[in-house]
Amino acid sequence: MAEELLEVRVEDLNVWIGDNHILKDVYMRAVPGTVTAVMGPSGSGKSTLIRVINRLIDLVPGSKVKGRVMIGKINVLESDPYMVRRRIGMVFQEPNPFPHMTIYENVAIGPRLHGLAREREEIDRIVEWALKKAQLWDEVKDRLDDYPYQLSGGQKQRLSLARALALKPRVLLLDEPTANIDPVSTVKVERSIIEYAKENMATVIIVTHTPQQAARISDNILFIYEGRVIEYGPTREVVLHPREELTRKFLGGEV
Amino acid sequence: MPEMAKSDKRFFYSLVPAALVSSLILVLLFIVLIYYSAPAFKEYGFRIFTTKTWSPSEESARTSEYGLFIPLLGTLVSAIIAVVLALPFAISTVIFTEEVIPKGMNKVRETFSTLIDVMTGLPTIVYGLWGLAILAPFLRDNLYNPLYAVLGSIPLFSCRPVTGTTILTAGILLSMMIMPFMYSVIRHSYKRIPAIYKEAALALGTTKYEYSKIMMGMVKPSILAGILIGFGRAAGETVAVALVVGNTFNMPSCLLSSSYTISALIANQFGNAALYPYMINVLVVGGLILLLIGIVSNILGIMYLNRVRYTA
Ligand SMILES: Nc1ncnc2c1ncn2[C@@H]1O[C@H](COP(=O)(O)OP(=O)(O)O)[C@@H](O)[C@H]1O
Ligand SMILES: [Mg+2]
Repeated sequence: MAEELLEVRVEDLNVWIGDNHILKDVYMRAVPGTVTAVMGPSGSGKSTLIRVINRLIDLVPGSKVKGRVMIGKINVLESDPYMVRRRIGMVFQEPNPFPHMTIYENVAIGPRLHGLAREREEIDRIVEWALKKAQLWDEVKDRLDDYPYQLSGGQKQRLSLARALALKPRVLLLDEPTANIDPVSTVKVERSIIEYAKENMATVIIVTHTPQQAARISDNILFIYEGRVIEYGPTREVVLHPREELTRKFLGGEV
Repeated sequence: MPEMAKSDKRFFYSLVPAALVSSLILVLLFIVLIYYSAPAFKEYGFRIFTTKTWSPSEESARTSEYGLFIPLLGTLVSAIIAVVLALPFAISTVIFTEEVIPKGMNKVRETFSTLIDVMTGLPTIVYGLWGLAILAPFLRDNLYNPLYAVLGSIPLFSCRPVTGTTILTAGILLSMMIMPFMYSVIRHSYKRIPAIYKEAALALGTTKYEYSKIMMGMVKPSILAGILIGFGRAAGETVAVALVVGNTFNMPSCLLSSSYTISALIANQFGNAALYPYMINVLVVGGLILLLIGIVSNILGIMYLNRVRYTA
């Protein structure tokens, strides 16, 4: 199957929740085969931004969105959210594998729902592939029928990642995926994110809580502050030669 | 016991009697029921469960026949019908309340579910009267007669519906009465599902239907709990059933025939039971069985409720 490459382009994005203007004229561009890091202080609108991209913002009562969020040739804001979400994977800050499903079922659920595979062997293959991509396979291959509560926090997060990867999303969104997990798992998650972007020419956008992580894994950095884009550019440049005073302060841990 | 202030000690001991009384009541209930049912077992043995006739005689125990088989079966059949019919309604209504009513309309949601909760507290005689006056004749004309005409060759529907008061009417009425209970049990668990799992399901691109299926899977133990607690309620319900079940000793194997349940039997016969030897004792056996059904279904139900996992 020829896999289409989907670039994510955000233009003139404004988001309100109730009377609060959360995102102001935000723009960004994330290219297939690269990792884009979204960084900024807590409360600056990072989560809101990536929730607009897969339309989870629809769940927030009183939210209003204006602008364009293009994925390939379609404007997400004018599309069926279900179709949008099928092609976009998402991993959240809190590891959230379904507690009532086994490890295997957690990974198989996406492909099953969307009819990507029907035969048991085919699903087996996808599950193994996704767990390997999420760097979890070796730790769980002998206990696929266990329930996730028997896993460590970091393993649960890699399981959540595997669940998203099993759908081979063209776009992968991650919202501070390593904020609550151990260092070993963090390294594994980071490695698998980079690999997935490069090997599959996928477009990866990761919200990160630390500039160090952005420096380690991203090709481009988007720095937002109080809902505005302050700086956007190649990671090396933003980290080594920030153009804006605010960026410099953020990198130095001052804001 | 850890250190306690003197006044707390007094407070503590003042609570003991109430707690003791509450638990003693159940034990006493059991003792009394067993005490009064013992003579029936002594006289008739296990036969009371298998006999299909009920022919009390004022003269002697020898010529009396007390068979609980039909009311027992009637209780089971009507309660099963009730649960089977109520479950899909309970589940869909939970989904309606929690997922269809928009996020911003919490007032509407709470009002709606309060209305359903109120239904659990209505006097059951109201259901019974409505069932007898309106539901039964309506079902006979619009459901039973057509069913009999079309599916009359199937044993379940093979008896001519004479009155609207049948075992099926009892089941249908019971389903309306237990639906709010099942709804409450399931919704209570559903509401507690953390947002992170809802988001996880939605992010996979699930439709509302697929999403609801995953969420219901998460609270599956509470659905089982709802089934069990609903079954216990249905089996024990008395007044409403006594009004619509027909109160005849016909086998409930044909759903369109009038029949009996244990609770209706006790309600109808207890008044003059003293005139017949051993009848009270046999009725108490029925009561004992209802108590057991109630206790077992509720204990299992509560156990299942505690099995819902809200964290991975
Ligand atoms: N569901 C919501 N309801 C109301 N305000 C919200 C909601 N989600 C986020 N916000 C507000 O939007 C702003 C940005 O939040 P968020 O996108 O979560 O920031 P970040 O992820 O950068 O910490 C915050 O001021 C927050 O209070
Ligand atoms: Mg956030």
